[in-house]
Amino acid sequence: MPPELRESLLEALQHVQGYIYPNDVSLGWSVVIVVYPYITGLVAGAFILASLVRVFHVKALEPTYRLSLLTALAFLIVAPLPLLVHLGHPERCYEVMMTPHATSPMAIFGFVYAWYLMAVLLLELWFDYRRSFVEWAKASAGFKRLLYRVLTLGVEDVSPAAIQLDEKLGRFITVIGIPSAFLLHGYVGFIFGSVKANPWWGTVLMPIIFIFSAMVSGIALLMFLYLVISRLRRVPVDMGCLRAIGTFLLSALVLDAAVETLDWIHRLYEAEESLEVLVLLASGKLFFSFFLVQVLLGTIAPLAMLGATQVFKERISLRLQKSLYLVSSLLILIGVFAMRWNVVIGGQLFSKSLRGFTTYKIALVGQEGLLMAVVLMILPFLLLIGLVKFFDPWNTRETPPATT
Amino acid sequence: MFGFFARAAVGAWAVSVLRPVKAVAQKVAQSPVARSAREAIQKAFVTAQTPTGYDVHAHHWAMAIDVERCIGCGLCAEACKGENHVLKEPFYFRTWIERYIIRKPDPRSFELRGETLVDSPNGGIGGFPPSPVRKENILRTFFVPKLCNQCEHSPCIQACPVGATFDSPDGAVLIDKEYCIGCGFCVQACPYGCRFLNPVTKTAEKCTLCYHRITHGLRPACVEVCPTGARIFGDLKDGNEKNPVRVFIENNKVQVLKPHLGTEPRVYYAGLDKEVR
Amino acid sequence: MPPQITRLVYLTLAIVAVYFLARGFLVPASFGQYGWYRGNALKEIAALPIRYAGRAACAECHEEAAERLAKGSHQGLSCEACHGPGAAHAEDPAEAAPKPENSRFCLRCHEFNLSRPAKFPQVEADDHFPDQKCAECHAPHSPMQAPEDASKRNAKPVKK
Ligand code: HEC
Ligand code: HEC
Ligand code: HEC
Ligand code: HEC
Repeated sequence: MPPELRESLLEALQHVQGYIYPNDVSLGWSVVIVVYPYITGLVAGAFILASLVRVFHVKALEPTYRLSLLTALAFLIVAPLPLLVHLGHPERCYEVMMTPHATSPMAIFGFVYAWYLMAVLLLELWFDYRRSFVEWAKASAGFKRLLYRVLTLGVEDVSPAAIQLDEKLGRFITVIGIPSAFLLHGYVGFIFGSVKANPWWGTVLMPIIFIFSAMVSGIALLMFLYLVISRLRRVPVDMGCLRAIGTFLLSALVLDAAVETLDWIHRLYEAEESLEVLVLLASGKLFFSFFLVQVLLGTIAPLAMLGATQVFKERISLRLQKSLYLVSSLLILIGVFAMRWNVVIGGQLFSKSLRGFTTYKIALVGQEGLLMAVVLMILPFLLLIGLVKFFDPWNTRETPPATT
Repeated sequence: MFGFFARAAVGAWAVSVLRPVKAVAQKVAQSPVARSAREAIQKAFVTAQTPTGYDVHAHHWAMAIDVERCIGCGLCAEACKGENHVLKEPFYFRTWIERYIIRKPDPRSFELRGETLVDSPNGGIGGFPPSPVRKENILRTFFVPKLCNQCEHSPCIQACPVGATFDSPDGAVLIDKEYCIGCGFCVQACPYGCRFLNPVTKTAEKCTLCYHRITHGLRPACVEVCPTGARIFGDLKDGNEKNPVRVFIENNKVQVLKPHLGTEPRVYYAGLDKEVR
Repeated sequence: MPPQITRLVYLTLAIVAVYFLARGFLVPASFGQYGWYRGNALKEIAALPIRYAGRAACAECHEEAAERLAKGSHQGLSCEACHGPGAAHAEDPAEAAPKPENSRFCLRCHEFNLSRPAKFPQVEADDHFPDQKCAECHAPHSPMQAPEDASKRNAKPVKK
């Protein structure tokens, strides 16, 4: 067995508190698996923000529509990587698609993912961009031209009727997309919520908590990206858009906090056999990441700030409002990460003997180390830069006047 | 209006066209050229094996534990590691022994029982140190051997995404280590802490009831070396009246671990205390 | 049918066809023989090497020891509980025979421990002839008898 792992587990064994099942010393799922629900959550949240524009006609959000879609795509492409990296035998991953075990939430992931990527996101983008592809193909030459033409799938009809059909079908896809986004992330919640062996995870509220926290994190990410990108592009921030995002963010956050509180009330009231160890967990091993980061910094502080921007809309300067939005979106992003950490890592810190705790020492390098997690977190942003360059969401590219 | 028709048409198309596609794909996959190609590919993924004259449908194995007989010598856990080449490090066990020490209650309180101490140094291999609690303060103390419960409704099988862990027709929950992708979901799903990810093979591992022994007419290694008969093993399809598990289950009130989870374990315990989980 | 839709339908069909074709090639032959798993796995697991030969195997060649054991208080014990794994030796007697290491191994089972069932015979190692080896007074295969070896016959364990 690898000597470093041996060392670290021997050390963990020294710090075990109470009685844990001997196999519970090592954590099967590490920080990489924390990144996985975090990223999928961002996808679902970003998509839902986009669908607000398309399906619910929230005009104020128009400036972030395409950015939201591209963000969702960038993060979606990275979403399965943490799982893949974490597998003991990544070379066998095709088995999940070839012989999916119908009762396993993880097996369904392959299909939910494929559905969401290909039937929802790519289709929506395709309907949205088909016309641009055709135009760009005309305006460019060589390889680029070929690429754009392939992307049109050979449908080069840009007559108003065809564009209108694109529009209609795109909307239809978005309508399908909303339940799909819920499915995608609700199902990630289900991966944890369905583990009846683990009282910290096994609650029916888990998928719902995941959906709401996904919305919160995705919207916060877009708010953050919108502010940062506007600054980078040196264009003024559309305050109406920002406020609209802020309102949705606040409502999502309130809902999220309410559902999570409900979960705790439920646990405390039902007071099952496991309650004792869970309370010890939250107030001991997870005190910092749960009470301080997730609850205080990630929920209460942004609630107060976003609330302030709503209540004192007229009385505080735009500059201050923007900073409040920026800070609260960052805090929320950190808070939701802490939430994922508390779920994934917290759920493995106590033993299923319900009598004791192990410890988790994060490895720096290696397949499941901190560096890997950081890389996996940076990757979607790099992808997003590429996608923004390619898809040009703000129509800055010179296009010749349509000649038909 | 048009949107509706388009949707309906796509739906109808999809249904009517998918079926032939599947049939054609299967036909292609079954053609002789494809078959030899497939065999070559599969050989790369699957190892050859030797058949035994063992009929999987003629047996149904079961295990029972008599808690009152266990002396905590640790031979079972040791033999298991030896027989199954389990890593020797003290974090990986297919079977282990727990010691429970339940204190007497504080005489000033109205409680019936005091605090419960549980330990399992190195899974019980090498025995247990003297009790940390003095005899006068102990209400009850005993050893409990633990192993995979071979659940009827195994949460681990349910969780496995690829069908690498399964319930064999003869009653053992097994792992196909050539097919396991090492995702660790089954480890999380097991309520009894009986599974672990082997850091060398990178696949999940657990008690197999010594499947390689029982299919050759031997008892599992832990049962073989248990000096006191605390572990009882047998074949439920064996008509013999003296079948040890049958006799044991007929003569004892048996329980299973964590019954509230509905996993329906097939390892039965006699003489359990409520503190055991 | 508008071209957008037909193109997408063809694309979908192509993807589905590729999927089923890949399945035909990548699903192992014995998959599904007994259930949602590789049927050959059963045989592979059953073919793993054995290290503990089992009491019956030892008794085949060591009749005397087996008989003696069957008559004494250690009758419930398997040879390999004390001797350790012996499949290699049972296959080929020329292989070194498993031998209990020292008298500590008796204490593994008999050392006094509060958690052991009270009716199980236990001794306090420090009080029960600590300077002598167990086997000087107890024949391991029949522990309530003195060992046959006369030189070791210092004391004869008798039931109280
Ligand atoms: C195929 C017959 C056979 C089987 C089966 C067998 N043995 Fe032996 N065993 C022998 C023979 C022959 C010797 C003598 C070898 C020698 O002295 O070199 C021996 C020697 C021994 C000795 C050493 C005696 C000494 O004085 O050194 C021990 C201990 C022993 N066997 C234990 C076992 C155990 C335990 C088993 C069951 C796992 C077993 N044997 C199975 C044939 C067998
Ligand atoms: C209680 C533990 C124990 C059990 C059970 C046991 N043995 Fe032994 N056996 C010993 C010890 C101790 C020795 C003596 C070793 C020494 O003298 O170095 C021994 C010696 C032997 C020897 C060497 C020859 C002799 O008689 O001294 C053989 C052969 C042997 N055992 C076979 C068996 C077989 C076969 C069985 C099962 C039927 C068995 N033993 C069960 C403890 C045990
Ligand atoms: C694997 C565990 C084990 C080992 C090792 C072992 N014994 Fe035993 N011993 C037992 C069991 C089980 C009994 C039967 C207890 C009963 O009858 O309840 C027993 C019974 C005895 C008895 C009879 C007690 C009585 O009151 O009937 C003596 C004496 C004894 N052993 C001595 C030894 C000696 C000496 C050794 C070392 C050579 C030894 N034992 C090694 C398990 C073991
Ligand atoms: C000097 C000889 C001698 C030695 C050495 C010796 N014993 Fe004993 N043992 C006896 C006698 C005599 C008895 C029976 C009288 C008694 O119960 O105290 C006995 C009884 C026992 C019993 C049965 C106790 C009971 O309550 O039924 C066990 C178990 C035992 N011995 C184990 C051991 C072990 C283990 C060792 C080695 C550490 C050992 N003996 C060494 C002489 C010896």
